[in-house]
Amino acid sequence: MITLRGYKLTHIYRYHKVLSDVSLELQSGDCFALFGPNGAGKTTLIKILSTLLRPTGGSVEIMGKDSRDHRIEARRDLFLMGHGTFHYDDLTVLENMEFAMALRGLSPPYSMLRNALDRVGIGPFTLQKSRYLSTGMQKRLALAKALLAQPNLLLLDEPYVALDEKGMQMMNDCIREFLDKGASVLMSSHDRAKAAEVSTRAGILQNKGLKEVPLKELANALF
Amino acid sequence: MPFFNLIKWIVWKDILCEMRNRENIASIFFFALNLIFIFSFSFAMDRNMTEAMMPGLIWVAFGFASILGLGKSFLAETYNDCLAYLQISPAHKGTIYLGKFLGNLLIMVAVELVLIPLFIIFFNLDILNKLPSFSLILIIATIGICAVGTLFSALTVQTRAREVLFPLLLLPLEAPIFIGAVEATRGAFHGDPIALYRHWIELLVVFDLVFIIASYWLFEFILDG
Amino acid sequence: MHNLIKRLRKVEGGVGALAFLFVAMGLYGGLVTSPPDYYQGEVVRIIYIHVPFAKCALLAYTMLFVGSVFYLWKKDPVVDNLCHAAAGVGVFMTAIALLTGSIWAKPTWNTWWTWDPRLVSFAILLLILIGYLMLRTLVEDRQKEAVYSAVLAIIGFIDLPIVYFSVEWWRTLHQPMSISTRGVSLAPEMLTPLILMSIGMSLLFSYMLMIRTQMLYLRHLLGAKRGGLISEVDLS
Repeated sequence: MITLRGYKLTHIYRYHKVLSDVSLELQSGDCFALFGPNGAGKTTLIKILSTLLRPTGGSVEIMGKDSRDHRIEARRDLFLMGHGTFHYDDLTVLENMEFAMALRGLSPPYSMLRNALDRVGIGPFTLQKSRYLSTGMQKRLALAKALLAQPNLLLLDEPYVALDEKGMQMMNDCIREFLDKGASVLMSSHDRAKAAEVSTRAGILQNKGLKEVPLKELANALF
Repeated sequence: MPFFNLIKWIVWKDILCEMRNRENIASIFFFALNLIFIFSFSFAMDRNMTEAMMPGLIWVAFGFASILGLGKSFLAETYNDCLAYLQISPAHKGTIYLGKFLGNLLIMVAVELVLIPLFIIFFNLDILNKLPSFSLILIIATIGICAVGTLFSALTVQTRAREVLFPLLLLPLEAPIFIGAVEATRGAFHGDPIALYRHWIELLVVFDLVFIIASYWLFEFILDG
Repeated sequence: MHNLIKRLRKVEGGVGALAFLFVAMGLYGGLVTSPPDYYQGEVVRIIYIHVPFAKCALLAYTMLFVGSVFYLWKKDPVVDNLCHAAAGVGVFMTAIALLTGSIWAKPTWNTWWTWDPRLVSFAILLLILIGYLMLRTLVEDRQKEAVYSAVLAIIGFIDLPIVYFSVEWWRTLHQPMSISTRGVSLAPEMLTPLILMSIGMSLLFSYMLMIRTQMLYLRHLLGAKRGGLISEVDLS
């Protein structure tokens, strides 16, 4: 089943073209690793695919539905872990989780929330204010939100940043869980080794275009 | 029902953050308090002048203090990119508007409840028996201030020079609120029967309805991807 | 070249010429052949400027609203340029209307300003339009700029009638009706130049709008060319 389809995506910021006719398609169980030099447009592409940004040209389909015409359904099917953590500094970890789920129309019971927090390793900090978490722990909280949201499409913008070795392993474990359930994952990263552990496909975003490369050649690809 | 649940959550989140942070509520309150002192010094008022000018002074104080607080309403969402999460949530953006609006309303009303006694004390006002009708005017006018203020807070939060742009855009459009609230308050303080000034209250109600409905529908465009 | 721009370029010459013609006739009629007012003297001639400019200001404000609604519906960038142009020309029209109104008021009613609902509404319109133009310069993202300013235009349009009525009610309370800006009775010799000027100014407004829209469109094309988005511009 095709979970994500980006068709001829073009984006121009003011007068600076960042993406030109980028197309890609993801099926259930695909994990696509997106690489590229700084400023290549990886974040822009992910923002467009997550409906955060409206592309100047092209269209995005999520689970077969156009993301502009069926915005609400499309957003229900996806989850974004972006550069910002989406946490409110003054709320506790638990309150942040509850609020994030409420915005998705979910109200999981405390046991489910606690399980997710334990799974990502910040269970002891459940009642701490988000402000006091380190960057790595905030990343884990974001991952816990994703685990509870159970999206069909998970978009990750540099997921390994700020995570320690155990954290990165846990991230990959969670990604594998998502893939086993039939979801698709698209991630952008600079860490080829870690991304290669879970990815099924890879591509390089360069010169405003996306070129898919076989995973085997990824280690040697120059960009 | 998800609609009310989401509104309840957004209000709860804002109140919780405000209670722990007290940034907004403190700035609104202390700014208005400062205005009370400045008014006293600038307009050395005798009994008659006080009675004539008090409605205006009260609403100038609330209006300008609200600019401080409402402007920050969406600022909290810009930290950690929380605004992006609101943008891509599968919720109707009008619902988010209503939640934010109600949160702002509660904060403004809380501040006003503390400030009114201070006005009474510092200016020796004799309005205790007129408080019921004044409370009605207070709530309706504050609804109007929060309705447009929340909309413009979201509109200007992603622009440069937002602290300047917010009052610049907001104040001309709030003119009917000031006119209506001051005139209605003047009637209430004077002890007039409500029939004499009810068309001002009706003006405020029309303003409130028009802007809440317009903002509800336009919010989709402001928080759009 | 965008279709709308092409159509504008075909029409603008004719509109400009007609505008010049009507304005010339109107000014001649107003300043030379029409009689001075019995009470106000020569000063009354300023209505040949004030009234048409005020009408054009309201025309600009209406066009801004219609254009903004259309933009939010169709997202056509040239319509966005049109809205931007309407606001710019509108600021000019409103400012001149207020200025000439003030110049008229002083010798006539011995006051530079009166809290008349129409004057106050025009002053607030000017503030809204200036706020609109400021908003446009302060938003970074191009698409957001267009959407936000459209939202502001719609809110402003909805608000202005409410402002008008509230000031009208307020004024009946606080200022007696001794002053009325509606009270100029018009002799037929004055009516004709006024109508000519109104038509002429509306045409002139349209002409200015067309020119300004094209200017903004060309500026956009220039930016696109500089950014390397288009290799050549077809200016035919």
